[in-house]
Amino acid sequence: MPVQDDLQPKRRPHAGPRMLIRLAAKNLTRYRRRTMITASAIAFGVAIFVAMASLLEGLIAEGDRNLANYETGSAALTGQGYWDEREQYPLDILIEDPASILDALDAADIAAAPRVGFRGELIVHYDPYPEDGSAHLSMYGINPERDPRVFRIDEAVTEGRYLEADEHGLLISRWLAERLGAEVGFPVTITTRTRDGFHQIMDLDIVGIYETPNPTVDRRTVFMPLEIADSYLEMQGAVTAVHLALPEAVPGTADLEPVRAALAQAGITLEPAGGDGPDPDNNRDVPGESGAQDHGAATGVELLSFDYMTAEFAAAMELQEAAFGVILFLLGVIAIVGISNTMLMAVLEREREIGMMRAIGMRDGEIRSMFVLEAAGIGLLGGAIGLLIGAGLVGYLATYGIDYSAMLEGVEMDFRFDGVVYGVWNPETMLTTAIGAAALAGVVALIPVRRILKRSVTESLRQH
Amino acid sequence: MINVTDIHKEYIDGETSVRALRGVSLHIAKGEFLSIAGPSGSGKTTLLNVIGCIDTADSGGLSIDGDRINGAHGVSSRALIEIRRAKIGFVFQSFNLIPVLTAYENVAMALSLLGLAESEIRERTTKILTEVGLAGMEDRRPAKLSGGQQQRVAVARALVKDPLIVLADEPTANLDSETGEAILKLMKSINQRIGTTFVFSTHDQMVMDYADRLCRLHDGLIESDEVRRSA
Ligand SMILES: Nc1ncnc2c1ncn2[C@@H]1O[C@H](COP(=O)(O)OP(=O)(O)O)[C@@H](O)[C@H]1O
Ligand SMILES: [Mg+2]
Repeated sequence: MPVQDDLQPKRRPHAGPRMLIRLAAKNLTRYRRRTMITASAIAFGVAIFVAMASLLEGLIAEGDRNLANYETGSAALTGQGYWDEREQYPLDILIEDPASILDALDAADIAAAPRVGFRGELIVHYDPYPEDGSAHLSMYGINPERDPRVFRIDEAVTEGRYLEADEHGLLISRWLAERLGAEVGFPVTITTRTRDGFHQIMDLDIVGIYETPNPTVDRRTVFMPLEIADSYLEMQGAVTAVHLALPEAVPGTADLEPVRAALAQAGITLEPAGGDGPDPDNNRDVPGESGAQDHGAATGVELLSFDYMTAEFAAAMELQEAAFGVILFLLGVIAIVGISNTMLMAVLEREREIGMMRAIGMRDGEIRSMFVLEAAGIGLLGGAIGLLIGAGLVGYLATYGIDYSAMLEGVEMDFRFDGVVYGVWNPETMLTTAIGAAALAGVVALIPVRRILKRSVTESLRQH
Repeated sequence: MINVTDIHKEYIDGETSVRALRGVSLHIAKGEFLSIAGPSGSGKTTLLNVIGCIDTADSGGLSIDGDRINGAHGVSSRALIEIRRAKIGFVFQSFNLIPVLTAYENVAMALSLLGLAESEIRERTTKILTEVGLAGMEDRRPAKLSGGQQQRVAVARALVKDPLIVLADEPTANLDSETGEAILKLMKSINQRIGTTFVFSTHDQMVMDYADRLCRLHDGLIESDEVRRSA
């Protein structure tokens, strides 16, 4: 339906709804300035919303990637109940015989990396100076050969080098190194406890400094060769987890069945999916889907899905989404106030005209439709402009991202994205937003129209 | 065709009340060219509004084309809207055209409401615009038309649906006398050629002179009702 075609003599009005659409479209051109201002307000709201939705989606995607790449892998095997206690770094919930598990997974071509996670105090000696820097940190013994198959710590080394098997070496993050005054080559001492709870002291040298995009890892984690951790902690070959990398485009979507099959073939049994294993305490909440974890009855080994391991992160993101919802609400309120004000003015200014149309037999419903269409037209115009601007913003965000690093510098929170967050294209969200704006505008127009239709025809005709 | 019997209408505005119609009875036959004349405030608009079904009387009876219009209906009732839509044409003192529509579209709108086929709308609209002397000006918006031309569009809009009656409330009051007279002549010629019933109000002697029948209204009462030879 063309909007400005009043100069084309060929075009003639049509009956019924088409006439109303035409009338509404013509009326849109009546107060160009007001139409443009209102449409701009809607465009602004749509553009901001579209950009924010894109960033939020990017944030979640980035968080998931960073969790998978630096903390969890696609899935993990642990001793039964380990995950709930992981913040305490227990050394009594273990996989006693990781070798047979690794063999089974190797045979099935499933990438697997064993780790020993523990807590210790790191003391840095900066040699010529008397002062020491120290911090209580998370420490992982990792297999330098296997770990890169699942995680990306090796690629994150920006100074010095990655770990080598059996060396008394330590990888420390840039963030920690700067705060502890440590550099590559510095000797460090770690105090911790063995598996049996005895005090232990380890002397290592910093061989490399890493920087991942996952601040939660960077701010509290150091890595050393698995063999060193094993011997100092007297693990006797036991590990706290075996992390897996499975083929998947998006973290959390991998099929865990091949893992179960591979383990089953090697005689390592996991409880069937469903969480109704023999131990009722293990019937834990798994956000999202049920059956995300298995409990190993015989071996005490359970298979943890990505979703299970990252439930807390997902919950934090839901909070983000709630905040996002509040912003959406506020943008909606702005749009509603703008459009209702515009339509109220339009309706009041045209009261006599409305009176005339009612006098010559236009039904209330037809007058309502006319104004709803008019408002929806403004909404659609605003939505379209907003979509264009929004697409520009999303394009920028997807290419260059937003750098949050300065803002997050002092924030003590578990977040999983580094300074820069990239936007994600989601045409469906964008289109829904624009159409939603138009629909909202249309509905809002009903309020002022209702007001005018309550007046009598003669009263409306007497205006001006 | 239209019967008005003992219509009363009182406006109550706070403490004061105005008895705008105090028992008006009137029979309007098909093809009449009737003027309701009277000074300002005599009740002309009120009477035309009641006949045109955009207002309701407090008491009294109204029947249009055999349909009894009952005061209890209320002007928003479906029945009254349908009567206005199909049977009544309005011409207003201040033209009341839609400024964003062309002359053609302003007229065609009245037919669109009846849900007629596009071809029929086109045919009838073009014909009536020629009838009122606006051939060639179909695509002008009201702002590009003189007052007289705008009122011609309004007359065409009232006529195009071939109504039972055209009600014109002081149709010449916003026009200079020459232009006003031309509008009267136009309505009169349509009345004579097509037989459309016209009822128009005025307080202007020149306008009254065109009427075939003159009803004088005073303080809500019909003072005189005479059939006369028109100019
Ligand atoms: N809505 C109204 N409220 C109060 N009084 C009104 C209203 N409409 C008309 N009147 C009064 O009713 C009387 C008749 O008015 P009206 O029918 O407009 O007369 P006319 O058209 O002959 O000038 C006048 O005294 C006018 O002031
Ligand atoms: Mg009047």
